[in-house]
Amino acid sequence: MSSRRGFLKSGALAVFGVSVGGVPAFIARAASKEKISSPYKKNKILVCIFQRGAMDGLMAVAPFTDAYLKIARPSLFMSAAKDARTTPLIDLDGRFGLHPGLRSFEQAFRNKQMAIVHGIGSPNNSRSHFDAQDYMESGTPFNKGTDSGWLNRASGLLGHDGSPFRSVSLTNSMPRSFYGYNTSIAISNLQDFALQLKGNPMAANITAKSFEDLYDQASSDLLKETGKETFSAVKMLDKMDTRNYQPANGAVYPQSPLGNALRQIAQLVKMDVGLEIGFAESGGWDTHYNQGTEMGSFGRNALDLSNSITAFWTDLSSYQDELTVMTMTEFGRTVKQNGSGGTDHGRGSCNFILGNDVKGGIIHGSVGSLATENLEDGRDLPVTTDFRAVFSEVADNHLKIKNDAVLFPGWEGKKIGVMRT
Amino acid sequence: MKSRFIIISKIVSLFVVGFIIISFVYHPATRTTVFRFPYKEAGLTERQAAAHLLSRFSFGATPGQIDEVVKTGLENWFQKQLIGGIPDDSLQARTLEYDALKMTNTEANEVFPRPIQILKMARENGIIPKDSANDVDRKIYKKKIAQYAREKKYRRQSEFFHQFINYKILRATYSNNQLHEVLTDFWFNHFNVSFTKKDCALFIPAYERDAIRPFVTGKFEDMLLATAKSPAMLLYLDNFNSVANSDENRMGDEERMKRRLMRMNASMDDTAATAMVQKLANRKKNQGLNENYAREVMELHTLGVNGGYTQADVTQAARILTGWTLYPIENSYGSGIKKLLDKIGEDRLSDQGFVHDGDFLFAMNRHDTKAKTVLGKQFASNAGYQEGVELLKMLAHHKSTANFICRKLAVHFVSDNPAQSLVEKMEKSFLQHEGNISEVLITMVSSPEFWNKNVIREKTKSPFELAISAVRALKADVQQPYLLFGWIDKMGQKIYHYQAPTGFPDKAQYWINTGALLNRMNFGLAVASKQMRGVQTNLLGLNNFHEPESAEEALITYSKLLMPERNLDQTIKRLTPLLTEPQLDKKVEQAAGKKNSASVSIVSDKEELMVEEAMKEDKEDLAKKTKQNEISTENMLAQVVGIIIGSPEFQRK
Repeated sequence: MSSRRGFLKSGALAVFGVSVGGVPAFIARAASKEKISSPYKKNKILVCIFQRGAMDGLMAVAPFTDAYLKIARPSLFMSAAKDARTTPLIDLDGRFGLHPGLRSFEQAFRNKQMAIVHGIGSPNNSRSHFDAQDYMESGTPFNKGTDSGWLNRASGLLGHDGSPFRSVSLTNSMPRSFYGYNTSIAISNLQDFALQLKGNPMAANITAKSFEDLYDQASSDLLKETGKETFSAVKMLDKMDTRNYQPANGAVYPQSPLGNALRQIAQLVKMDVGLEIGFAESGGWDTHYNQGTEMGSFGRNALDLSNSITAFWTDLSSYQDELTVMTMTEFGRTVKQNGSGGTDHGRGSCNFILGNDVKGGIIHGSVGSLATENLEDGRDLPVTTDFRAVFSEVADNHLKIKNDAVLFPGWEGKKIGVMRT
Repeated sequence: MKSRFIIISKIVSLFVVGFIIISFVYHPATRTTVFRFPYKEAGLTERQAAAHLLSRFSFGATPGQIDEVVKTGLENWFQKQLIGGIPDDSLQARTLEYDALKMTNTEANEVFPRPIQILKMARENGIIPKDSANDVDRKIYKKKIAQYAREKKYRRQSEFFHQFINYKILRATYSNNQLHEVLTDFWFNHFNVSFTKKDCALFIPAYERDAIRPFVTGKFEDMLLATAKSPAMLLYLDNFNSVANSDENRMGDEERMKRRLMRMNASMDDTAATAMVQKLANRKKNQGLNENYAREVMELHTLGVNGGYTQADVTQAARILTGWTLYPIENSYGSGIKKLLDKIGEDRLSDQGFVHDGDFLFAMNRHDTKAKTVLGKQFASNAGYQEGVELLKMLAHHKSTANFICRKLAVHFVSDNPAQSLVEKMEKSFLQHEGNISEVLITMVSSPEFWNKNVIREKTKSPFELAISAVRALKADVQQPYLLFGWIDKMGQKIYHYQAPTGFPDKAQYWINTGALLNRMNFGLAVASKQMRGVQTNLLGLNNFHEPESAEEALITYSKLLMPERNLDQTIKRLTPLLTEPQLDKKVEQAAGKKNSASVSIVSDKEELMVEEAMKEDKEDLAKKTKQNEISTENMLAQVVGIIIGSPEFQRK
């Protein structure tokens, strides 16, 4: 009550009193419903996770039967053999072993919901994080001048009207993948998506009404339309209780940036606000020093990655038919370990694709013997699958985006069958 | 003491260099033709025209600035702005502490090394063991590294970047040379480099200072050449390690190298030498030609994507630019080439075809010496550095460049979709005056298309422009510019962090989307309220402490103050119904009228006390009311002003 009195006293109402009863109609509307009745039909949703820093694909999914790997990595090599001293790799198919930090992926892999592509990477052999991320996110590995990101182009190719929340990146700033003219939102915390008038929610509502009226009458169409969109978006989220969110099915998200981001994406999915493309980041993969085995810097990151994704997948069990999750990383790391217990910038890595329309339980792509003569420049796992082959197939199969010429200009490769047809 | 002396001497030399640059830069004052702005023909009053001029060539009018421009005369004001150099005392007073921005690249690298460099040096100097990244030991190492950094007087890089970002915000807000600030912003974005690429980040402040700012009203060619040679650009677009491909150039080299190896090392036989040479050649193969800069200089900096060049032109241009790199910087870049340079000796560099110009190095040994042809022009096969200079000159004066640059200027300063006739006039001016930017701008503003009613307020402010125009209009005291940076980022423009070389798009459609628009409104509310400590406003002071008598008056007065010379009928009309809530008076009265119950006191003489109390109450009441009025007026004003800044009309310029 006191805040209401304070507000009246403040005189703010004197300026922006509302015509009926003081409560804007949309608030009343929203309050009467648990969920906003959605104008958006159940769309497919693609969630991409960029592992920044270049994940060591040979540690994540290790070709453990290859004797060369053991020689190249005396202190980093892990075995699938069960002995008491160390935690073994999880043997996926007799040749590849999943890092124990990724153990929560095992079930999805065995259920054929998760596919792995090994030897994936860019045809451009730049080993600079910046350049390789830039190329992967723009989707044009030989052209820096591309002004849009591939996910923004994907959004434009979806072929139906989108919600303001069609493309949401749970990051501080707009990622390169989202650059472009199709509507997208970058936000690190959904709670920020509201008009913010400190300590006075009532005043905020009234201010919102003033803004809404102003924008409704704006002479510029762009401002007017975006204004409309903005207020409908604010209203959509108005009901969301981000603080007290309870994940379904006992899912537990790690208290990490990735865990938080995926938890909020899950909330958006459940709100039916029209999310179709989600984006999140996972950091810390640049393991030059003391990469460790089970619980080193790599192991901790792996655990966070798999636990976050698995929590997300569990939380959204009832949406699994609509959902695909895909990871990506700019390049892999050297086959040999370096002098400081880590690995340096390499070429091919691996990625994970999770979804019910994925050709799961298989390690796609091609990884040859790691003998020096088979390596790219004598040192790196060669890139045998162009990332665009995989991204475009996921976009095609899951989001029904057929126009590869727009999605990945200049690319004319073949898809490799990571999705069910 | 020594380092201070060095810095001072560097500043002095910088001054001298700056002076030389200024004296070379074209001086619009010396032009003979007089120009006139045809705003009357477009039906604008002088004040409306001044408002339009300020909205496009400054970061927003400050209160009273329209009067100043009218007094100076519009054309005269524009000419003065082109010349620049107007004293900026108040800006200087606000930026005294920003020492880092005067540093050369080398100094910046000495004082603000990258964390990874510090780590490397700490390892090399045995401060911490080579394999030190164990979690167990991390704490101890952390302390040791910190101590090492302190002893070496290293400062955190983030401080450097904060200074730079703050500086940009303060300059945009307080500089009297607004056109130079606006143009620096435009040209930086045109020749974009990004903090997101860590290798080049440290060199970006010097890039803006030395390669962009001095040239913004001068010849396009000079700016193009300066950016091409600047470390930030060389690193950002990778030309620094572009080396002639071995198959193009190195056939004879291998034989020579083999002989040299055998001469130097008596124990080496022919087979061993061949193997060594092969190994080196393999390593080189990885480097080779890098086409990134050559492509972007044509696509983004000069000709434009449809400028009529082919992939073959890109490759040939890249070959011309092989060897354009940075002069080695200690502990940072080029330790390999440093040895070679030392061996040759500074005074003999030019004999060998090398060029050392400040931070720039033309490394002849990396240059492709075969003949090249770009856009039909043949380049002398062995002219080294000069080939690149000639290439850039050719690009700078190309007809496609004239079109591309003039259209971009027209899009920025006139309209998202500028009239073709205007672009053609500017193009002609560009070619006639050999890429003189001042002349092109004068042509633009002297054209009727600039004053056409359809383009007035047609442009949408970028988030940066919105924030700066708001604090300028509010005459805010910006003590913590970094706060504004955070808001500008939230609104969708993380300045200096745009990753792609295209720079931020310059169209309303890019800036106006759901999340960004919401944050614009929130920014308006925040900057007008007292929420943003470090950005202080005095709303009453803005109106000479003249308190508006009603909410309606506040709305009208402050709308006009913040958006002078605009037709605000619509905005005011839309907001007025909200002022006329029938029950309102009663509500406010009720709320304000709740009196505190009288305080209990011991009574001796009732009558006397009554009088005393009545007088006391009256006094208190008055004080309270005044206080309440002040608070309520302030709150009311804050909300009105917040809504004005977040309104659609204020988003336009």
